Amino acid sequence: MTREQVLKVVSKHLMDAVDGLEESKIDPARSMKDLGANSLDIVEVVSRSMRELKVKVPRSELSKLTNINELVDTLLKAASTAPEQRA
Amino acid sequence: MGVDTHSAAALVQLSLSPDFDHVGILRIADADGRNALSEPLVHALLARLAEAAQDERIHCLVLCGLPDVFCAGASRDMLASIVQGRIAPTDILLSKAVLDLPMPVVAAMAGHAIGGGLALGLCADILVLARESRYGASFMNMGFTPGMGITKLLEHVMSPALAAEILFSGEPRRGRDFIGMTGVNYIVPRVEVEERAFAVAARIAEKPRTSLQLLKRTLSLPRRQAFEATRTMESLMHEISFGQPDAAKRIEENYD
Repeated sequence: MTREQVLKVVSKHLMDAVDGLEESKIDPARSMKDLGANSLDIVEVVSRSMRELKVKVPRSELSKLTNINELVDTLLKAASTAPEQRA
Repeated sequence: MGVDTHSAAALVQLSLSPDFDHVGILRIADADGRNALSEPLVHALLARLAEAAQDERIHCLVLCGLPDVFCAGASRDMLASIVQGRIAPTDILLSKAVLDLPMPVVAAMAGHAIGGGLALGLCADILVLARESRYGASFMNMGFTPGMGITKLLEHVMSPALAAEILFSGEPRRGRDFIGMTGVNYIVPRVEVEERAFAVAARIAEKPRTSLQLLKRTLSLPRRQAFEATRTMESLMHEISFGQPDAAKRIEENYD
């Protein structure tokens, strides 16, 4: 799985969560909150992305993330872990 | 538990509408706690609900929250107390207090309503939701079974099949996702929620209180009966689901 693929999954769910958000407006250096997502939207974007990518990241790790790039890197790292090590 | 009357009054405000005769306003306003059902907030809510029930001037009550959160369900501390056995979920009689109010209740749910917060809103007779806000039953996301009567209350406004999906999946859906799928009275832009709720309440409040009270008792009877039956089942499920060895860990890992 590539980084671009992970970003595409996150972007898709983010666009679904935030009314009127277009892909061209998604700057991964920004936070989802900056792009109009509220706390429940963010939880939903992350949980849908994890489900689609078949990865699980602990809440404690997710709470430290400050922007979309960091989320993508975290999800990519989890996806590259051997399946038997996935929580 | 002792409750500071002053701070309790600040958490939940009960007032008469300055604009509409005989319309009461009960606002859940714990901004610091994000309207999560903590013990002080539950006590304050119960106290204000009891006052509202006794107030003959109120013909119709509008239940409101903060602009972005109507009610967020049990707080982390409250869930910890339940897991430790200090509080039984059935002791949380908020749903019953709203269902038993003698006057019609309009829930103006402009902000999110999750878990017990959604159950609280569903106890109202008439519901106004916001297109942008999210509504869901998060119980199962944290590994325990639903409570506060929501197991049956959801079916007041949606089909049993849709209610089952909301309860099993724990997915917090946006108000707009429910348009055309439920019997919710109004799903409007967030900024219009309270205006719509008060317009409905004003029209109801013109009627004689005694007749409103009689009709309320009659119309709410199926929900009150369903709630009583559900409480028994929910309580049995809670004894098992909260008693699981990993219950506390699951809540800690999945509380949002």
